[in-house]
Amino acid sequence: MDKEEELKIIGMHCATCVLTVSKSLKSVRGVRDAEVNLATGTAKVILSDSVRVKDLIRAVRKAGYDVATDRFTIRVEVNPEELPKIEKKLIETKGVIDVNSNASLGTITIEYNPLVITKEDILREAKIKGEILSSEKSEKDITYREFKDLSRRLIVGIIFSILSLVFTHYSLFLSIPVVYYSGLRFHRGAYRALKNKSTNMDVLVSLSSNVMWISSIFLPNHPFFMDSALLITFVLIGKTLEAYIKARMSSDIIVEPYKARLKDGRLVDSSKLNVGDVIIVKSGERIPADGIIDNGEGEVDESILTGEQKPVLKKKGDSVLAGSVLANGYLEIYVTRNWDRSYIMQLTQTVREAYNARVSIQGLVDKVSEVFVPTIITISIITFLTWRFLLHSTIISSLLFSVAVLAVACPCALGLATPMAILVRVHRSLKRGIVFRDGNVLEELKNVNLVIFDKTGTITEGKYSIVSKKEFIEGAFELASIAESKSNHPIARAFPTINGIVETFEEFPGRGIYARVNGNDVIVGNKDFVLNNCEWNVEDKEGDILICVNNKAGGILSVRDKIREEAKDVINFLKYKKINVVIATGDHSEQVEEIANELGIKYYKGLTPEDKVDLVRKFKDEGYKVMFVGDGVNDAIAIKEADVGVAIYSGTELAKSAGKVIIRSLKDIEELFRESNLAIRKVKENLAWAFGYNIIMVPLASGLLYPYIFLPPEYAALAMSFSSVIVSLWSLVPI
Amino acid sequence: MIDPVCGMEVDEKSKYKTMYKGKMYYFCSAGCLREFQKNPEEYLRGGPKGMPNG
Repeated sequence: MDKEEELKIIGMHCATCVLTVSKSLKSVRGVRDAEVNLATGTAKVILSDSVRVKDLIRAVRKAGYDVATDRFTIRVEVNPEELPKIEKKLIETKGVIDVNSNASLGTITIEYNPLVITKEDILREAKIKGEILSSEKSEKDITYREFKDLSRRLIVGIIFSILSLVFTHYSLFLSIPVVYYSGLRFHRGAYRALKNKSTNMDVLVSLSSNVMWISSIFLPNHPFFMDSALLITFVLIGKTLEAYIKARMSSDIIVEPYKARLKDGRLVDSSKLNVGDVIIVKSGERIPADGIIDNGEGEVDESILTGEQKPVLKKKGDSVLAGSVLANGYLEIYVTRNWDRSYIMQLTQTVREAYNARVSIQGLVDKVSEVFVPTIITISIITFLTWRFLLHSTIISSLLFSVAVLAVACPCALGLATPMAILVRVHRSLKRGIVFRDGNVLEELKNVNLVIFDKTGTITEGKYSIVSKKEFIEGAFELASIAESKSNHPIARAFPTINGIVETFEEFPGRGIYARVNGNDVIVGNKDFVLNNCEWNVEDKEGDILICVNNKAGGILSVRDKIREEAKDVINFLKYKKINVVIATGDHSEQVEEIANELGIKYYKGLTPEDKVDLVRKFKDEGYKVMFVGDGVNDAIAIKEADVGVAIYSGTELAKSAGKVIIRSLKDIEELFRESNLAIRKVKENLAWAFGYNIIMVPLASGLLYPYIFLPPEYAALAMSFSSVIVSLWSLVPI
Repeated sequence: MIDPVCGMEVDEKSKYKTMYKGKMYYFCSAGCLREFQKNPEEYLRGGPKGMPNG
């Protein structure tokens, strides 16, 4: 059965693009035909049912273009263990590209193709009810609302449970508010799950409390009304604690708009600012928007964004970011990005996505969760039958054992184990200035066995100095300096600042520049580039940088760049971990060899950004798991291609950089590997707890060790509810 | 002006450009630019050959 999918392609500007995009689409296995239209910027793809839209998008992105997609986040009223089933249903909905659920926050983020389906249709077709989160704020409201609702039910539960303990004769009436008001969430949840032909923790709680309460009506001598009420109350204690932890967690990653002072003195929310507004920030205030300093200067503390504690002096023309604090000084800031696009908002969005990571072990957990509740119900029935008919116990004690089995089993901890551990690690790293844009990296890091470092600015400081120069034409060096004043390349900054008239200027990334300076044609660049464009009329052509003036050899320079202090430590650490290390650089100079020898690693020099991508691919084809560490802008494509792309943040263009991980300095590399180990360890510990708890407690509850150990249903419920609290708390415990 | 590799119409605003023997050349895509840099003489003598790998 074939289907048709329409995609909105971004970045096509000529017929070549059309060819490239259509070829990339057709290369996906299962695509019958692809028709790309430049005028409308769309692609119509005929594909077999087996093809996922995600694969099409990946192919288009790999070819260097992008596909317009939309996404929204919804909060659903389900238990963590049900999420995989809902995800599956969503992924099968036409037009849905990707689904990420976050069990710890109870949210699902859906990426979809707006040309094919609307938000509302997705929810209708997948039969999902929930609240669409329009902003960060509503998420905070929702998690707190959840906590408040649970607290209310818990208070009612506690009051009436105590009353039913004191006035046992009235326990039938006193237990009703607890079982059927406080416990209503569980009965509703159970009904919803069963209607959707699935099972969850609510089914177990509802079943155990109802079995006890209803059977008590028929057992006037041994009523369990009080026990049933206690069971609900105990479960609520755990649930309320868990909700509190979640609410605290989610409010930590939510940024409220700041107050901004406009030039006319009016105070507005930063979310109301427009690009082009000028705002005033005084000493000690928080900067409310991303922008450029229009006037004034001051020391800015960006630690909230970068983890860097030292304030940075910023002057007119420098950029500032929302969220940072003006430690001292006075600034007038021209707003360049509106609130939703501000860096801090992008950062929170990124981090929230990282929380949705799925660790490979989760596949096993999902499988177990699916059969967990039916298995427990079966064990509970077997328990009843065994006690009643094999061991000839009374109906009451047989019932108690079988209900205890239902009450003690805890599928929640299984659902929470992975997301909670990842959430906490991603969160802790963020506070230290390490941004994980993809939580899966925590697991991928463990398999990395080759690290490729960019050289300039990564291994070295990126601050070149000229160590020797020869002039064949007098004034050549001065002309080169004037020309280089137009360039932002690190080598350009090694030239002294000399003013002159630059009539035309062309830059060729990674190779050199051409400029017309004071009426002279000047070419400055690496050896190959200059020799290709110049009649080099002298024997001597050995140097890092050649200068050509009016088509004749003008001069030769040698430049040097210092190795960063921390580079040696990081490389030694990687070698100690038996990880291969190489340098890949665009630099042609002999210095590459010197640096590589000093660090004792292999090198590849004279590479264009595309060559770096090819190098990454080559290593991947050889079976390596590759990490690429670069500065995120020049190396963006190589960083994207690597299994683990790491961008070193040094500037405000962080949001544009490509890495799955963003770090502040090389020192953080060790931290990354440590974080990865800790995260995986936490996930395993949490899962060991979740599985271990059930394996031990279910037999105990069934009366296996009776009369030595006996677990009444209400205590079984208490154990169960604390099992998930323990998983949440254990994730928070530093190792 | 035309892209010396694929023969397509390009203008000076294209971000894909290089200099060879003191003359500027513009391209429609990174693919064509790379192809030219590998072997500029082949394209300057033989003229455009259509899209690389196309």
